[in-house]
Amino acid sequence: MSLFVQSLILGILLGGLYALLASGLTLYFGVMRVVQIAHSAFLILAAYLAWFFATRTGLDALLSLVITVPLFFVVGVGLQRLLITRLKPATLTMMSVLLTFAIALIIEGMLGFVFTGVQRRIHFSYGSASVPLFGAEVPVVKLVAFALAVLALGALWLILKKTGFGQALRATIQNKEAAQLVGINTDRVASYGFGLGLATAAVGGTALAMDATIYPSLHWHWIGPLMAIIVVGGLGSVPGAAIAAMVLGISQSLLQIPLGTTWAQTVFYVALFVTLMVRPQGFFGGRLAQRF
Amino acid sequence: MASEQPTSPAPEPGSETAPRTGAANLLELNGIEAGYGRAALVLRGLTVKVPPRTIVCLVGPNGAGKSTVLRVASGMLTPRAGEVLVDGVDVTRQGPQERLASGLAHVLQGHSVFPEMTVEENIRLGAYSVKDRALVAERTAFVKDLFPVVGERWTSLAGLLSGGQQKQVEFARSLMVDPKVVLLDEPSMGLDPKTTAAVFEQIVTMRDAGTAVLLVEQNARRALETADIGCVLDLGRLHITGPAADLLADPELSALYLGGRPHERT
Ligand SMILES: Nc1ncnc2c1ncn2[C@@H]1O[C@H](COP(=O)(O)OP(=O)(O)O)[C@@H](O)[C@H]1O
Ligand SMILES: [Mg+2]
Repeated sequence: MSLFVQSLILGILLGGLYALLASGLTLYFGVMRVVQIAHSAFLILAAYLAWFFATRTGLDALLSLVITVPLFFVVGVGLQRLLITRLKPATLTMMSVLLTFAIALIIEGMLGFVFTGVQRRIHFSYGSASVPLFGAEVPVVKLVAFALAVLALGALWLILKKTGFGQALRATIQNKEAAQLVGINTDRVASYGFGLGLATAAVGGTALAMDATIYPSLHWHWIGPLMAIIVVGGLGSVPGAAIAAMVLGISQSLLQIPLGTTWAQTVFYVALFVTLMVRPQGFFGGRLAQRF
Repeated sequence: MASEQPTSPAPEPGSETAPRTGAANLLELNGIEAGYGRAALVLRGLTVKVPPRTIVCLVGPNGAGKSTVLRVASGMLTPRAGEVLVDGVDVTRQGPQERLASGLAHVLQGHSVFPEMTVEENIRLGAYSVKDRALVAERTAFVKDLFPVVGERWTSLAGLLSGGQQKQVEFARSLMVDPKVVLLDEPSMGLDPKTTAAVFEQIVTMRDAGTAVLLVEQNARRALETADIGCVLDLGRLHITGPAADLLADPELSALYLGGRPHERT
């Protein structure tokens, strides 16, 4: 029983992290129909920057967010303006896969070149501490990563729901032509949306690296599950992705008890197959996703 | 009709749209040639004029280029030749955002509410380009008064409303900028006859409230019964234009473009 509780708690923490990692990915698709294969490469890049920051300054790696979040936002806006807008609208989704695949390879190559292929781990002063929670021992780093995810997703929710920019972004996602016709500059909104998606990658990558060993090719391990999450959640729907992430995170954690870690990972692909067979528009995006 | 002097009231104080200059037509499309990419032209020298406080209805078969006319008017498509005048001012080179400020609002074909947002958010987005809060409040009260359903369903998600209710939200949203002319693309599409009748009544209400209307319809007979001026679009040009009642009465036109005898349902 306590193993179950332990797995459930770890599953919830994992689900929260997945929700953050997937939120940017679904945002790019929602705003621009862009499949951003390089999202997970940017996660790993952020993780390396956090590691580099911590080893150089001796400060807590989380402080690197002060630099990486604005940096990633600017890089995202630049990428969208300089590269994504050059793709033809008719084949945008397809070509964006190729383009961002190339970006992922470039990031991986750069990381290997600058930091070598050696596995790295960020050192935290509270790295080996754990706290008892409902009879289970939960590592502090996992709790902090979860808190980071909740904070970042909360901020994303506030931006999308409560600001003028968020209104314009959601309007652009829901009906681009109608958004143009009420006077929204949908090109500018799209580039800021891309920047916002990449900014979530800065937080997500750092949260991810709190409890993981990183190496340049690690992003290949992440892109599959994250893609599965956004398809199950309904492409383009941030709340849908968050719910799917939570469900799949908990399932994965619980399935590790009977199946072990390797087989539990297949839950993402099983969910993906089932979704594509019975509900291709996703389970939680519903009406919104159908509009694409 | 086109030479009639405008009777529009003086602009409200604090209005952000340009004051009316008193040109004979609020909207003029002159000699428009337009098309998509390298494909053949869709519009080949089309001229349409919309006087103040008038519903002008453009009818024509599916694919005739009706939506294209509205795209050219609202700046979503740049014409290859010809000019677009709003209240006597040349806006041909303006994009959609500037056209909105010039006084043109476009309601798209099909559903164009933001479905995952509330009616309130939809209406407020209609005033996205208006910075003056007092003016937004005033326009909100105005559209709530004109379209009661907007106030009744204020907090509902727009996507959950019926087709006819969504159309009214779209109309209300387009009126938030106090446009000189609204461009309506097939507002009756997908609606049952009763709702269609209600929507056409709303169009008359909009005209009576001071906005000129350029209406595009496949449901030609019903639209001409509502409109003041009718135009028939054929092969990218105006085939005929005149008082809507005359078009309806013309037996040859009826047979060719309006789907048979007067009392047949289209
Ligand atoms: N985005 C587009 N790209 C290419 N061709 C288009 C596009 N939109 C419309 N067309 C073509 O232009 C012609 C007129 O279309 P449209 O203005 O939508 O007609 P209507 O509204 O009268 O049904 C059609 O032949 C259509 O195929
Ligand atoms: Mg059309």
